[in-house]
Amino acid sequence: MPIHEKSLIRPENLQVHEKLEVEGVDVSGHWSTFIESRVVTDYNEAMEDEIAALPGGEYIHRCWQCGSCTNSCTVHALNPDFNPRYWIYLIRMGMESELLRDKEIIWQCVSCNKCTYACPRDVVPEGVMKATSHWLELKGHTPKSHSMIFDEIFSEQVFKTGKIEDGRTVRRFFKRTGQALRQPWLEEMVKRLLRNLPIGMLTRMGMANFITPKTKGWSGARDAIEEYVAEQESHHRQALRLDDLVEAARKEL
Amino acid sequence: MAKPILIVGGGPAGLAAAHSLATFGQACILVDKEDRLGGAPILEGYAKLVPSGEWAKDAIGGMVDRVAEHELVDVRKETKVTEFSGEAGDFTAVLSSGDSVGVSAAILCTGFSHFDSANKPEWGFGTFPDVVTTSQVEQMISSGQGVRCPSDGRKPQRVAILLCVGSRDRQIGREWCSKICCTVSANMAMEIREELPDCHVYIYYMDIRTYGLYETKYYWKSQEEFKVKYIKARIAEVTSDGEKLIVKGEDTLVKRPITIPFDLVVHAIGMDPNVDNPDISAIFGVDLETHGYIDKASSYSATGLTNKNGVFVAGAAIGPETIDDSIAQGKAAAMAVLEQRQLAARLVS
Repeated sequence: MPIHEKSLIRPENLQVHEKLEVEGVDVSGHWSTFIESRVVTDYNEAMEDEIAALPGGEYIHRCWQCGSCTNSCTVHALNPDFNPRYWIYLIRMGMESELLRDKEIIWQCVSCNKCTYACPRDVVPEGVMKATSHWLELKGHTPKSHSMIFDEIFSEQVFKTGKIEDGRTVRRFFKRTGQALRQPWLEEMVKRLLRNLPIGMLTRMGMANFITPKTKGWSGARDAIEEYVAEQESHHRQALRLDDLVEAARKEL
Repeated sequence: MAKPILIVGGGPAGLAAAHSLATFGQACILVDKEDRLGGAPILEGYAKLVPSGEWAKDAIGGMVDRVAEHELVDVRKETKVTEFSGEAGDFTAVLSSGDSVGVSAAILCTGFSHFDSANKPEWGFGTFPDVVTTSQVEQMISSGQGVRCPSDGRKPQRVAILLCVGSRDRQIGREWCSKICCTVSANMAMEIREELPDCHVYIYYMDIRTYGLYETKYYWKSQEEFKVKYIKARIAEVTSDGEKLIVKGEDTLVKRPITIPFDLVVHAIGMDPNVDNPDISAIFGVDLETHGYIDKASSYSATGLTNKNGVFVAGAAIGPETIDDSIAQGKAAAMAVLEQRQLAARLVS
């Protein structure tokens, strides 16, 4: 396929001067159409290392671009722009600006793991998608996704008490994502629970909202988990040089 | 005693043939145009060989020593065959030294010539000092100097290895695949990453042909353990911005032109037919095949046969060949010579 193929020309790269004269010749309007270069002028080796430092991205360097992941992808079937093979390549070559063009669709991976089974090199593309979404969030390119917020609320509770309380999870999730708690489907669900659940269970569920039960002897496990999570987070911050980014932003202000 | 066998060329194939014949009590005359035996691995100063990982000077050096020391091998260095006449079992070879020797058969182990990168001027060899060949990098490694930019001796930060330089290219009349450059380049990339862990190595390829078991040992290993990057692009030209080399081409996977700065560009040069092949063909009466290599007859009756009875061929004289396979072919040709002698003896008696 020739590299000047029309579908590769991006509207924002087209330059047309309404009034332009070159060496005495009037080339106004379409005569002066100029396509800005899309030449790759350098590789950024740090990018692959950053993604590889996040959970799921460890095996990205194995990719040899066969396309099995994209070909087997559930989301790609619905949206041809969802192309894990391509993003893996952009990351490996450090074409950051190109990757950022797709930041709004990368998180749409549904983790079906068809790619994981199709990949001949065990790249685990599903993990790479997860790491890439994570990277986009950590770097501030995309806001925290709802699923990430849900995961955080869920794990905060488990880390703290060793237990999960559904009512609290749901309330916090709606609050943190700025959604109204009074969702018609939720009201309907609660109504039916009240109607159909045995009274003893309802009482216990209701009480759990006030007394926060804990798993017996949980504090040891909690400390170990918290230590591990802190370790991982600091490792990720370091790998992505997030503190440098923050420092640079502070200086700019 | 039977007449000696003439072996032309003292590289891996010739050394293997001479050793086999001498071991079976067959005298041979080994001629080589160079002042040293060992062929390309020694003359070009190869570092570690594929796939053994042994240093060329030890591995091939050992083959040289046992042949040079053997009483049944008459080694003639800096010598060429200028005339070759007679028929199978009774040839006369005139050597450039003036000697005339009677031999019963000849094995041509005349090898190949490395592609001269100057024939591909758009890739910068000869124009920019930091554009080098795989042979030069082999020498940097085998000499112990390490991989450096020839212009100022600095350690490269980023190296490009261009595959198929002098191979698979109709523009320069070289349509063959040189077979081993992919594997050698993957190995070299790992050696560079090992010596200079901060140096990134990119391999520009059309296809990767690390065939057979080389797939995991070189291609996969270079990617998985050494993080060598492979980019599917045939490079259009190598230029310079005055500071760095600029490699231009199309990255076919993103369908974009690339102009990437590099410190060192390595040409993975292919194997040409030996430049002396037209002379060899005329002197020994052997045909050349369409690419210019010595034409080998079919292998089913005996190995290493040419169109001329009593003249055998082995190794990279037949086409691009690995060192291991050249050695095997040298031994196979030696066996074919002994077989033929045995059959002739039986017919006479």
